[in-house]
Amino acid sequence: MPMVLLNCDQDIPERERHIYFKVPGEDTRDYLPVANAPTIPGTLSERGCSFCGAKLVIGGALKDTIQMIHGPLGCAYDTWHTKRYPSDNGHFQLKYTWSTDMKESNIVFGGEKRLEKAMHEAFNEMPDIKRMIVYTTCPTALIGDDVKAVVKKVTEARPDVDIFVVECPGFGGVSQSKGHHVLNIAWVSEKVGTVEPEITSPYTINFIGDYNIQGDTFVLERYCERLGIQVIAHFTGNSTYDDCRSMHRAQLNVVNCARSAGYIANELKRLYGIPRLDVDSWGFNYTAEAIRKVASFFGIEDKAEELIAEETAKWKPQLDWYKERLQGKKMAIWTGGPRLWHWTKAVEDDLGVEVVAMSSKFGHEEDFEKVIARGRHGTYYVDDPNELEFFEIMDKAKPDIIFTGPRVGDLVKKLHIPYVNGHGYHNGPYMGFEGFVNMARDMYNATHNPLFRLAAIDIRDAGAAQIEEAA
Amino acid sequence: MSCTVESKDRAGIINPMYTCQPAGGQFASIGVKDCIPLVHGGQGCTMFVRLLFAQHFKENFAIASSSVHEDAAVFGGTKRIIEGVEVLARRYPELRVIPIITTCSTEVIGDDIEGTITACYKMLAKEFPERTIHLVPMHTPSFKGSQVSGYDEAVKSLIKTLAKKGPPTGKLNVFTGWVNPGDVDELKFYLDEMGVDATVLMDTSRFDSPMLPDKSLQTEGSTTVEDLQDTANAIGSISLNRYEGGGAADHLKREFDVPAIQSPTPYGIANTDELLRNISTLTGKPIPASLVWERGRALNALTDLAHMFFADKKVAIYGHPDLVIGLAQFCMEVEMKPVLLLFGDENGRYKRDPRVLELKKTVDFDMQIVCNADLWELERRIKDKEIELDLIMGHSKGRYIAIDAGIPMVRVGFPTFDRAGLQRHPTMGYRGAMHLGETIANTMFSHMEYTKNREWILNTW
Repeated sequence: MPMVLLNCDQDIPERERHIYFKVPGEDTRDYLPVANAPTIPGTLSERGCSFCGAKLVIGGALKDTIQMIHGPLGCAYDTWHTKRYPSDNGHFQLKYTWSTDMKESNIVFGGEKRLEKAMHEAFNEMPDIKRMIVYTTCPTALIGDDVKAVVKKVTEARPDVDIFVVECPGFGGVSQSKGHHVLNIAWVSEKVGTVEPEITSPYTINFIGDYNIQGDTFVLERYCERLGIQVIAHFTGNSTYDDCRSMHRAQLNVVNCARSAGYIANELKRLYGIPRLDVDSWGFNYTAEAIRKVASFFGIEDKAEELIAEETAKWKPQLDWYKERLQGKKMAIWTGGPRLWHWTKAVEDDLGVEVVAMSSKFGHEEDFEKVIARGRHGTYYVDDPNELEFFEIMDKAKPDIIFTGPRVGDLVKKLHIPYVNGHGYHNGPYMGFEGFVNMARDMYNATHNPLFRLAAIDIRDAGAAQIEEAA
Repeated sequence: MSCTVESKDRAGIINPMYTCQPAGGQFASIGVKDCIPLVHGGQGCTMFVRLLFAQHFKENFAIASSSVHEDAAVFGGTKRIIEGVEVLARRYPELRVIPIITTCSTEVIGDDIEGTITACYKMLAKEFPERTIHLVPMHTPSFKGSQVSGYDEAVKSLIKTLAKKGPPTGKLNVFTGWVNPGDVDELKFYLDEMGVDATVLMDTSRFDSPMLPDKSLQTEGSTTVEDLQDTANAIGSISLNRYEGGGAADHLKREFDVPAIQSPTPYGIANTDELLRNISTLTGKPIPASLVWERGRALNALTDLAHMFFADKKVAIYGHPDLVIGLAQFCMEVEMKPVLLLFGDENGRYKRDPRVLELKKTVDFDMQIVCNADLWELERRIKDKEIELDLIMGHSKGRYIAIDAGIPMVRVGFPTFDRAGLQRHPTMGYRGAMHLGETIANTMFSHMEYTKNREWILNTW
C-alpha cells in the first residue's frame, strides 16, 4: 500500500495522492505525494496563508524594521505573539506590529492616503527606526492600492529611510510557501547590493534560512566566530535590514532552510556567482558535517576539527545519556515542511528514535523526495494533513512523542501523547551540538512525564492502584 | 478632576488591542455544540484564530476554512463554500450547525453568501436527506469593527437564523458576552442557587476540559441547536455585555416579545448585585441566603485590601469595552483610581454609554478614556511620562509595556496566554471580584519584593 486512502478520506478520495506509506523495495520514482497543491475546502487543513509566509516567517525576524501591514488590523494582530525569535537588541521584532487599520471607506475609496499617513506616523513615533517593510494583504491587493507609489512618496519625503514592499496577499498560492518565494525574489531583486558591508575576515558567508528560533542563530554565530568566519547576513534571524542588503559580498551561501530561502541562494548564485552549500544545522552528526563542509570550502579544516572535538567532548556525554533512554521511542513530526527531512535521520542516528509519521503543511514535492529518501520504511509521509487524518494516523503509527505546534499539542494531550513544540521549541535553541542536546532533553522529559501514566488510570477500577504501582 | 473621552488621532495602529471581526464570529461559533464554522477567506484567517484560541485556552477547537486561493479571489469563491459544506457534512456525521463566516477578501469580492446558502441547502437535501444541518450566515468583514462587534454580530446571526416560536419554556436567556469558562461556571452557580432554569449563551464551560482515561475529546461548546431555537420562547433575556451579545437580546425582544434587560457587566460587588436583582425581576425568584453569604465573603476579603493597599493606586485598563468599564467600576469600589481606560475600536455608542456618562459625572480624579486605541496609546503615555501608573490591567498582548516599564500588571480579558490557568477562574461575580482583588494584591506584593520597595510592610500583616 504505497499511497494510502485513509478511512476518514473515503469521501475525498483525491487525498490518497497526498499520503504515502514507505515500504521496502520502493523509491520516489515509484511514488511521491502530491504537494503544494490547492487545499480542499472544509477539510480542517492546518495551512496558513502566503502573507504569513512572508511576514511572520521571514520579514518579521528582522530586529530593526517596522513591519507595516497594509490591511485590516487582524493581519497584524495575528502575526504577532506567534513566534519565538529573540534578538540581541531587546527583541524589538517581538514587541511591535503595525497596521494601516483599513476601514470600509478605505476599501471603497482606496487606502493609499491612509497607508502614507500610517507610514509617517510609524517613523515619527519611533524616530530611531529607519527601515520598514510594507506588506499588502487580501483586501488591499484586491482593491489595487499602488503601494509602491506611496513608498516612493514617503521615501522622497524622508531621505534617511529605506522601505521594502512585499506584495503577497493571503490568497496567493496555496500555503505559506508562496510568501517565502515572493519575499525572497523581491528582496534579492530590489535590496541586495544596495549596502556595502565592512569586511573583517578573509572568510565570509551568508547563513540563509535560519530565523533564530530560541537563539539558534546565536549558537551558529559562535561557531562561525571560532572558525574566524564573518557572517555578512543571517537571512533573517537576529539580522538587521541592512545586513541583508549586503548579502552580495559573501563568498559562500550556507543554506539551512532550503524551502523558505533556497530561492534567494539560487538568485545570489545567478546574479553574483556566490556558490550555494546546503547544510543541516539540526542534529549532532549533521552539525559536524555542516562545519566540515563550510570549513573545507575555505581550507580551514584544522580549525573545524578543533571546534568539533571541543564541542563533542563537551556535549556528547550528555547526548549519549539521553540516547540510552530514548532508544526505540517512536516519534511523529507534524510541522511545516523542511524539519521533516532535517530531523528524521538526525534523531535516528543520534538518538535511536524512530520517526513513524510525518506531515508537511507547505512542503513541495522536492521536499518529499528528500524526506522519503532519508526516512524509514513503515512511516507515513503526509502532505497538507487535516485533523481527521491526524487522528487516524496517530492511531496507526502510535508515536510516543509528537513534534508539532501548540494547538495540535493541546489536542494530543487528550490522547495521552506528549508533544514538543516543533515550531518554536520547548526550551531551545535546538541547532548545533548543544541545541541537539536540548532537543533530546525535551524529548526525554516529555516521554518520561509521569502525568501521562496517571492519565491512563481510571480511579474507579478496582485494580487501578496496582496498575499505577506497576507502572 | 474630570473624565474626558477622546479617540486616537493617528490613522495607523501600533500594536492592536483586538483582532478583526471574523475572530469574533469564530469565538461565538465554537460555543455551539456539534458545530464547525466555515470561514470563507484565506487560510490565515482561520489558522491564526485557532492558534489564538489554543494560546488562551490551551485547548484545540475545530474550525474550517474555505481556503480561498487566487482563482477564487478573481472569479468568486462561492463554489468553495458549497464544497466546504459538503466535505464537512460528509466527514463529520454529528455536525448540526455550520456558520459561514465572511472575511475582508470575500466581502470585497462580493460573494453572495445568502444565495450560496440556498444552493447549499439544495445540495444537503439531495445528499443528506435524513439530516438537518443549519447554515448560519455571519457577515464579519475585517474592515469593519473588531472582534468585539464580530462576536456581537455572530451571536445575533445565530439567534436570527435559529430562534423560532414554540411553546413557552419558562427559561431565562443569559447572554454572557466574550468571557471565560470560569465566568460561565460562576454565572451558572448563581442561576442554580436561585433555582432559575436558564440557557447560557454561549455555554463555554467545557472549554476547560479534562484528560480522561478513555482518551475522549470533550472540548466543545455546550449550547445546542434546541437551546438557540428556544431562545424565542424564554421568559426573558439578560445580556451582561452591551457590545457582545446585546444585539441578540434586542432581536428577541423585537421579533418574539421576549423581555430583555441590559444588565451592567457584573465586575465588582455593585454590578453583581444589580445582575442578581435583574435575574430576580425577570424570573420572580428571590435572592437566596447562600448568595448573601458569597457576597459577604467577597466584601470581607476586599476590605482587607482596599484602604491599606489599593487606595489611590493609579491603574490603566485595556481590553473589551464592557470589561474595561466593569473593571473601572470595580477598581473604584476598592479605592483604586482607574486613570486611563482604553477601548480598542471605534463605536459611536461608547461615548453615549450610560456607564461612561456616569463616570464623567462622578469621578473625582482625572480619568482619560481613549476610544479606537492601540496599545501604543498606553506605551507612549508611559514613555513620555504623561501618566504614572501603579498597575496595568489588560490582556497578554500588552505584556511588554509592563515588563519594560517595570509596572506590575494583572492579566485579565482575552487572550491571557502568558499566565497559567486564568481561563478557569472567574472575574465576574462576587467570587470573581474576590479572586481579582487578591490577584491584584499578590501581584503588587511580588512587585514590592522584587523591587525592594516597602516590602518590609508585609513583614507583618
